[in-house]
Amino acid sequence: MATEVLVKTEEKRVSPREPLWCLAFVLTAALLLHVCGNVLRPLHTDYGSTWSAYLAEPEDSLDVLFLGSSYAYCDWNPAVMYEASGLTGYVMGGSEQTPGITYWYLREALETQSPSVVVMEATSLFFDRYQNYTQINLGYMPWGLNRVRAILECAEEDKRLGLFWDLYFYHDRWKELGLVDIKKAIFPPGADHLKGHTAVDQVFEGTEGGPFLSGMRQSEEVYQQNLQDFARIAGLCAEKGIDLVVTINPTYSQYTPEVYDRLKADVEANPGVRFFDWSDGFAPAGLDPTRHLYDGGHLNQEGAKIFSAWTGEQLRDLGYEPRVQTEENRRAWEEAAEKWR
Amino acid sequence: MSFLSLSYFLFFPVTALVYFVLPQRARNGWLLGCSWFFYLCAGGSYFPFLLSTVLVTYFAARALEKKPRRGLLAGALCLFIGALGIFKYLRFGMESLSRLLALAGLDWAPVAPKLLLPAGISFYLFAAMGYLIDVYRGRLPAEKSFLKCALFLSFFPSLLSGPIGRGEKLLPQFDSYHKFNYVNMREGFFRFLWGAFKKLVLADRLAVVVDTVFAAPQNYGAIQVVIAACAFSVQIYCDFSAYSDMAVGSARVMGFELIENFRTPYFSRSIAEFWRRWHISLSSWFRDYLYIPLGGSRRGAVRKYVNVLIVFAVSGLWHGAALTFVVWGLLNGLYQVVSALTAPLRARARSVLPFGEDSRILALWQMGWVFVLSTLAWVFFEAGSLAGALGVLRNMVKPVLWDVGGLSAMGMGRKEFLVAGLGFLVLLGVDARSLKADPAREVAEAPRWIRWGVYLALLLSAVVFGSYGTGYDAQSFIYGQF
Repeated sequence: MATEVLVKTEEKRVSPREPLWCLAFVLTAALLLHVCGNVLRPLHTDYGSTWSAYLAEPEDSLDVLFLGSSYAYCDWNPAVMYEASGLTGYVMGGSEQTPGITYWYLREALETQSPSVVVMEATSLFFDRYQNYTQINLGYMPWGLNRVRAILECAEEDKRLGLFWDLYFYHDRWKELGLVDIKKAIFPPGADHLKGHTAVDQVFEGTEGGPFLSGMRQSEEVYQQNLQDFARIAGLCAEKGIDLVVTINPTYSQYTPEVYDRLKADVEANPGVRFFDWSDGFAPAGLDPTRHLYDGGHLNQEGAKIFSAWTGEQLRDLGYEPRVQTEENRRAWEEAAEKWR
Repeated sequence: MSFLSLSYFLFFPVTALVYFVLPQRARNGWLLGCSWFFYLCAGGSYFPFLLSTVLVTYFAARALEKKPRRGLLAGALCLFIGALGIFKYLRFGMESLSRLLALAGLDWAPVAPKLLLPAGISFYLFAAMGYLIDVYRGRLPAEKSFLKCALFLSFFPSLLSGPIGRGEKLLPQFDSYHKFNYVNMREGFFRFLWGAFKKLVLADRLAVVVDTVFAAPQNYGAIQVVIAACAFSVQIYCDFSAYSDMAVGSARVMGFELIENFRTPYFSRSIAEFWRRWHISLSSWFRDYLYIPLGGSRRGAVRKYVNVLIVFAVSGLWHGAALTFVVWGLLNGLYQVVSALTAPLRARARSVLPFGEDSRILALWQMGWVFVLSTLAWVFFEAGSLAGALGVLRNMVKPVLWDVGGLSAMGMGRKEFLVAGLGFLVLLGVDARSLKADPAREVAEAPRWIRWGVYLALLLSAVVFGSYGTGYDAQSFIYGQF
């Protein structure tokens, strides 16, 4: 029969509150670790995934939500579109963002906004299952079920720990910590004039030969998986009563017409989805490839201005009307547009 | 499953929680199941070796208790040593033989088969051998319960890297009812955090400097090479004692006490004392089961010195199948022999000094020497080959004191050196304190605000300043490979 031994120290009378104190300690430790994570995680205000600024937009104030990869955040400047069309918008995309992540972005974005139309740049349907920027794309998503499911579904296995726990990725930044890091943890960035856009000012100099063909690297299996993710995006839009417009933006980094034809058919197989292949649409949009391309693929900031104004007009032509904004928000948009004049 | 892994952070709380919830009769079964699961996580193919060791140990011990036959004990020990020899030393043995034959002009280059080395084999086989010898000597009754015998050899906190368990200490604890105890939990938690701090902030950070400089000592000045060698002395202490702390801490939470493996070894005033305070579970094993049976100090001075050299050569070999480990062991043995031979001379020299044997200056001087001597020996331990070790030692005394490139050329920037330095001061402080009291106990019994402050400081330091995550090569525990 077992004998009860008292290990080393006879415990003094234990307070019945001791378990509560243990819990309080765990919560304090978790809170401190969270604060450390917020301080050490670098400030992120451009190149997509600008969730902090997005969440600072007044609720239900956006007419258009742009989704996709860098083609979305480089090519569309919502503030310029506002000036041209009165439509408010925001680009909620990420670098090399796969359609799977885009789906979770959309779910999260619709928590605070109810746009009339979602415009998705579709080059990401040709991406691989995993691209290079999962850490940024998911690491800056707000905490919640959408982020958890996005991590479990869309992140590489070796990145999951860091995506659940920022310090795993960023603890080593203690060496470069500055006041700005502490400031941003206390006062996270609010709404800004970028509205998710990233302005790049270089001019592409290799336009002599005209557009060039991009090689297809993905397998048929990955393409089908991307289409399934896209179907979920289309399904969510339909469920929420939001129109979905899919585009290929003007680019010199093109696929063959057959690829685009197949993409159009596959995308439009989802009820209510409209597809626009604007890959060769430089002239109609008023773009000059010799001045408005950044790197052959993306538009530079001047190109983005022209293309965004033109997109706004196209959306107006499709029947989308600006919603009524509060006076304060109208002024904020005017100020944002002013910055790009 | 490393102690510092997400899987362990999930595994351990569940194991401990269920352990305390279960009735006593189910607890050992639960612990054994968890321990075997823990071992399976290290590699499924290792498990048959552990199971075989358990079976042989259990039945041999029962038989030895009935009739202590020397042949049976020798057979079981040969089996275990043979298994170690095959899995750990076959390649080394064949290569050494080939080299010897080459010296005699014979050309024989055998191809040693690539065998897996089961994780923790050196630790649990030594625990098993110690237990069998104790039963044979009649110092310990054979454990009648297979479950407890299996748990003794498989207990997860000490399974992979020790401390090497002793039957007399660990087995009775499986009979005891361990009530949940907050003081134990706090002590265990402190030990675990302290281990994590030493491993992540100090050991793995210093490893960068050590690896960088030892890889090409010729590219660095003498001072830089000396710094790297000293850094390794601190690294290996922090690395291994960290593992032991985490093992002891994990066991303590559940109410178990494991052997303390380290008692501030660098505060020793002689190499002999150093070895009484370094890897205590192994040193005491060799003392009880090899040194004393060889005759110890009972058969005259010469035999005693030979015995010391044998024990340290075997100890070196235990650490790894390479000549560098043997040299490291022999060097430590030699230090002790020379130390014993020169003891009267040194005592006479000290007697003319203006301070007594207990003076701080003398103590610091002796500790300094112990550190220097052990650091020189560690060079052989860390260097991949004898030539590499000699290269490091040669570069410690070259005329160029500091080569170009500054601190960053050694693999770490100024701020990292600063953190390592501060961490080292904390280490010194805690080790110094532990000479007078048990810091884990003191913290566990301190007022809540002090306790929380210490825990949170250790946790945040390890998490923020630790070397882990993206951009780091995860350093496994050095003793995990033995």
